[in-house]
Amino acid sequence: MSTSKITSDLLRGNTDTMILRLLMEADRYGYEIVKLIAERSQGEYELKEATMYSSVRRLEADGDITWYWGDESQGGRRKYFKITDKGRATYAHNKTTWEYAKRVLDTLL
Amino acid sequence: MTDRLNQYLDGVFAPYEGTRSITELKADLLADLQERYRELRAEGKDEATAFELTVDSIGDIEETVQEVTNLSRTLERQVVTRFDASALEGSDFAGVSARSGRFGSSALRGSDFSNADLAGSRFKSSDLKDTSFDGANLTDAVLTTAELKGSTFRRARLVRTDFSMSGLHEVRFEDVALTDVAFRQTDLKRTVFARCTFTGVDFSQSDLRGLTFDGETFTGVKFDQAGLEGVSLRGAILRDCSFRGGWSKKYYKALRTVNFDGARLDKLTYAALKGLGFTPANVIVE
Repeated sequence: MSTSKITSDLLRGNTDTMILRLLMEADRYGYEIVKLIAERSQGEYELKEATMYSSVRRLEADGDITWYWGDESQGGRRKYFKITDKGRATYAHNKTTWEYAKRVLDTLL
Repeated sequence: MTDRLNQYLDGVFAPYEGTRSITELKADLLADLQERYRELRAEGKDEATAFELTVDSIGDIEETVQEVTNLSRTLERQVVTRFDASALEGSDFAGVSARSGRFGSSALRGSDFSNADLAGSRFKSSDLKDTSFDGANLTDAVLTTAELKGSTFRRARLVRTDFSMSGLHEVRFEDVALTDVAFRQTDLKRTVFARCTFTGVDFSQSDLRGLTFDGETFTGVKFDQAGLEGVSLRGAILRDCSFRGGWSKKYYKALRTVNFDGARLDKLTYAALKGLGFTPANVIVE
């Protein structure tokens, strides 16, 4: 397995938390989410649309996020995703879990 | 160019049309792709490059479609359970005769239908978790979009029984001769089939990934567009079975991961597989 494959699997495993993080800051629409992830990782990680929507649908089903239609004047309407209180708790939990895993891995690797 | 993106998505989603959750996914995706395409064009990319980059940003849509369909069915089933009375939970129907019974949208969790005659009965969208159908006659019964998690069908009579789109996690089919049974668009990843025979069974578009069918017999079974990754058919007997993947490259790739060691295939099934560019190794053709 190549380095990039491992990295990409590791990153993809945290997609839910990445999305929750972005929604902690503001309500966002689909394309905005993938674009922000590319920008913030300086192009190191490209979140695919398909992966993003798998995550978003799962988060919706779990009650971590909801959505509403935005009122754009020109062009098509955008579907905005919004984090719920449960989602905030999930984010905090995932973040703690990651900090913990990172600490343990740092002592082992 | 928006038309071209639309056409591209039409092609990708063609096999899944008609499902609301998938139509929504397609619409969401199209909006994103259009915006990306417009931005790339504004950055000065030519039409062809912008289109290619846009389409490339989609990634593995088949997996997402599979997940979203499984997810939305779970939701639909939950809604049904919530709406219905719990008066029938854990009921004892052992040995009863309820031909053409109507059990649709009912909460029957933990009930006992062992050795009952349920020919032609309808259990559509019911909550049937942990229910026993051992030895029951389910000829022509309809169990579509039902939640059957943890239920058992030992030595049940299954002729033209329809399980399509139901939740079958940890469901056990043991010593059953399945005849013309339908499992269309069904998630079977965690279903157990022990000592069964399959005649005219339809697994079209179902998720069979990782299932073990070692030593079982398949006659006229449809595996069309099913998720076949890691399926084990060691020592199985396959006659006149159909493996059609349609547009999906992934289907053919998954087919190569199926273990046919020691399986006995008739010439038709073998030729069908070879026609797809896949020659199973260590099989007996007869």
